[in-house]
Amino acid sequence: MATARFQEIAAKVRGGERLGFDDGLALFEEPDFLSVGALANEVRERLHGDRAYYNRNVRLEVTNVCVASCMFCSFAKLEEGMPGARTLSVPQAIDSLRAKVDPSALPTEVHMVNGLHPGLAFTYYEELLSALREAFPTLHRKCFTAVEIDFFAKHYGMTTRVVLERLRAAGLESMPGGGAEIFHPEVRRKLCADKATAEEWAAIHGEAHELGIFTNATMLYGHIETFAHRVDHLLRLRALQQESIAQGRPARLQAFIPLAFHPEGNDLRRVPGPTGVDDLRTLAVSRLMLDNVEHLKAYWVASTPKIAQVGLAFGADDVDGTIVSETIYGSAGKRAPEGLAVDELVRMIREAGRTPIERDTLYRVITEHPRAAAPEASFRLKDRREGRHLEVVS
Amino acid sequence: MTAVEPLRIAGVGYLNAAPLVHGLAGDPGVELTLASPREVARRLAEDEADCALIPVAAVLEQGGLEILDLGVSADGPVRSVVLVAARPFDEIRTVLLDASSRTSVVLARVVLSWMGLSPRFLRREAAQAIAEVGGDVAALVIGDPAIDLAERFAHSIDLAAAWRAKTGLPFVFAVWAVRRGAVRGELIERLYRAADEGISAASAIATSYAEAKGERPDRFVSYLTRNIRHRLGAREREGLLRFAEEASKLGLLPDVPREALFPVDPGLGLTNADGPRARRAASVDALLDRVVDGGRLSFEDALHIYREADLFALGMAADVVRRRKVRADVVTYIVDRNVNYTNVCTTSCRFCAFYRPPGHDDGWTLSREELGTKLREVVGAGGVQILLQGGLNPALRLEWYEELFRWIKSTYGLGLHALSPEEILYIGQLEGLSTEVVLARLRAAGLDSVPGGGAEILVDRVRRQIAKAKCTSDEWLGVMRAAHHMGLRSSATMMYGTVDRDVDRVLHLLKLRELQDETGGFTAFFCWDFQYEQGTRIAPGDHGTVLYLRTQALARLVLDNFDHVGSSWVTQGPAVGQIALRFGADDWGSVMFEENVVSSAGTTFRTTAPLIERQIHEAGFKHARRDVRYAYLTEPT
Repeated sequence: MATARFQEIAAKVRGGERLGFDDGLALFEEPDFLSVGALANEVRERLHGDRAYYNRNVRLEVTNVCVASCMFCSFAKLEEGMPGARTLSVPQAIDSLRAKVDPSALPTEVHMVNGLHPGLAFTYYEELLSALREAFPTLHRKCFTAVEIDFFAKHYGMTTRVVLERLRAAGLESMPGGGAEIFHPEVRRKLCADKATAEEWAAIHGEAHELGIFTNATMLYGHIETFAHRVDHLLRLRALQQESIAQGRPARLQAFIPLAFHPEGNDLRRVPGPTGVDDLRTLAVSRLMLDNVEHLKAYWVASTPKIAQVGLAFGADDVDGTIVSETIYGSAGKRAPEGLAVDELVRMIREAGRTPIERDTLYRVITEHPRAAAPEASFRLKDRREGRHLEVVS
Repeated sequence: MTAVEPLRIAGVGYLNAAPLVHGLAGDPGVELTLASPREVARRLAEDEADCALIPVAAVLEQGGLEILDLGVSADGPVRSVVLVAARPFDEIRTVLLDASSRTSVVLARVVLSWMGLSPRFLRREAAQAIAEVGGDVAALVIGDPAIDLAERFAHSIDLAAAWRAKTGLPFVFAVWAVRRGAVRGELIERLYRAADEGISAASAIATSYAEAKGERPDRFVSYLTRNIRHRLGAREREGLLRFAEEASKLGLLPDVPREALFPVDPGLGLTNADGPRARRAASVDALLDRVVDGGRLSFEDALHIYREADLFALGMAADVVRRRKVRADVVTYIVDRNVNYTNVCTTSCRFCAFYRPPGHDDGWTLSREELGTKLREVVGAGGVQILLQGGLNPALRLEWYEELFRWIKSTYGLGLHALSPEEILYIGQLEGLSTEVVLARLRAAGLDSVPGGGAEILVDRVRRQIAKAKCTSDEWLGVMRAAHHMGLRSSATMMYGTVDRDVDRVLHLLKLRELQDETGGFTAFFCWDFQYEQGTRIAPGDHGTVLYLRTQALARLVLDNFDHVGSSWVTQGPAVGQIALRFGADDWGSVMFEENVVSSAGTTFRTTAPLIERQIHEAGFKHARRDVRYAYLTEPT
């Protein structure tokens, strides 16, 4: 049975009252975790009914060379020339993308996030965007985290606004939510001291919104942070969104994506990473706290398709996309398969009792699938790395 | 008239039912089969019959049926359902009975409870049961052997007479039932016509029955024409309701609301049993409230909840029930090792990638040396038992197992949770020995408990499709029954997600619940979905983590007589295994060193104790290590 404190919070949520810091903390600490999930589900169903979104996207990483040294990252290699370091020229980048996609069933989005490479010219990025636009005119270009924008501004001696304007002119359409990690300085100092600060990150998103560039936001949880740090993180994002709404900016935060920390292969090996209950609770609390962000994503690459499926009941309305190539989680011992076919995503959503909707990057509906299972939902039997055995008995 | 499929009718081969089925035998529109009441109920439940003469206990448990105003009842002594004893009943501690009638068993428990008695019930062949009566042992005898048996014993109770004396109502033993809406009109009229003919020919039927047995006809004629009644009216319906009430008070049958039995089609003489109107009134929430309050779920209630309940409502109800059943703040686990002694197997199940047929180059059986290495590691790691399972290997005889068990016991002193029912049946078949003898010899050699593997789905339609060579569901349950009666405990499992439907999964749970009512020998229930991989030869069916959580929660609610439900983290992964602790599970299963069947399916989830303990703590529980009987080996912390 849920606590009286929880009942109080539930009454607030049902009455449309905004939750505060203490409420967020109480939700993380509520022993009755199913009640927290059920409350988040109420909000989720009020916003989205039984709809659950996915998209068809492709990943691109043109360089893993990075000046930052984040403790949680298993991906970055410091300098060009070190073993494993890799930077693609613009034509190589286009070719690599061409090799990944099926021309008869092009994805709708390219998602590009890179290392902070100190040796490239800014025009490289402008050329890259233009080349993408030319080669794949129908692919929405969702590129560069606020951390990259911040790096460009400092490295090339421009304001962040100029960086954003030039990139937009070259073809940038929207921005992913990475680099947020945990905003609170107590954690951020230890985790990623040389990255954009919380204030810088938020300011860049605010400017992007002013320029009509929709963005996402993330939170990397389950490492050295406390529940209080997570609530603080959510409140900062809510404030950022509130500001964009109040200022009447033409764009907003579209989706929030909690990212489960994965310990393998990085400097935080001794931190065990979040458990399944924590994954679901974090989704639920995020849904309840971020009352002004429309979408909540259960990112299956980070949390496995299994948790993402249950996440659709704990507040999430989106499972992200088919993801043709993903290397960041890949090098951190990720728990999920390489990519999921559309029919696998559709089946996974249906199994959760939701209606699958294919969306584009801006959440416009591309295909609304019937809710009932159809033959197209047949199981795809490729590279599933987990969960396959038979008789286990005790 | 257009050609129609013959109506598949399952009847009972007893004399008391003969007037109802007699006239159907020559009917070309009917495909009549006769079997025991138990088997007949199974056929109706599993869609192998359209219409069946089934015991009322099955009617009340299944729900979703329509019953005709025709059946087998008695308004006073029935003569064919009697308890006999050599001493007064208040001295009776054990009642022996044969397996043929659940309704009579429930009636016996009800009547004995009125006398303040609750003896244990053990199964025996009828003749054997009668022979063993004496001291504090009584027998419940049903059918022909019971008639006039009372005269031979100092103490006896005619159960229908006792029922009539206490309630003033007739007792209904069995009724013609059809699945709701399945058959109509002419087919049902045919049953009434046959009954009319049969009832008026009852004397002749009884006479020829007696002659075929070489006995004097008069006692059979009076039995069939005076004691047994075949037409059911309002008083019989009252009797049926009263029975449901009395049985549900004792937790033996689901609680059926009064309005559940009402005529829906008087023209056809049809009565709805547990009908849709009543069911609509009982919303999912009301059903969950009822089960949380300790009520028993019928087949239809369980199915309704499984299909309709919200994930959270289901999880919360399972959580409440789990906290009431076992210590609310503790999740247990066991340190053991899964050892597969051979991969040679003759069954070739389509979902298995582990086995090799006899004679195959990749077939193996572990040597003592290989086993010894594994077992030393178990002992070294603080393990308390091994789970020993393999395949149906024709080269391994009973003596091989006996020697192996003795060697393991004497050398390592580990608990032996060994050999699934399938393996036990196979050894019996190889040796030409009964299940009881095989189990007794294995127990003497060191067997401690029987793992519940190979249950898959205990519905024969499903078993035939996925594991043709495997035992039937009754055989599987039979081994467990025998083991339990011998004092061996066992676990129970369910592997779903192949060709099974939700109905089959619910039936599976009800079959386990029914056996548990009888023996109380199951320790725990585990379920998981079929894991596809290379080497299996069947496509996955209903799947998903949400379904897993729903299924486990439903199992907790249906299996109201099981203490423990374990989460299957080995198949679902630790994250889902942990979440499952809030969907009715109170046990984490084992810290496994090895699981070859799993490994051959491409996955190796292994967790060490500290990691498991963290999962348990973060789900909000203390952890305790346990033994195979779920006794704590460590203080919960």
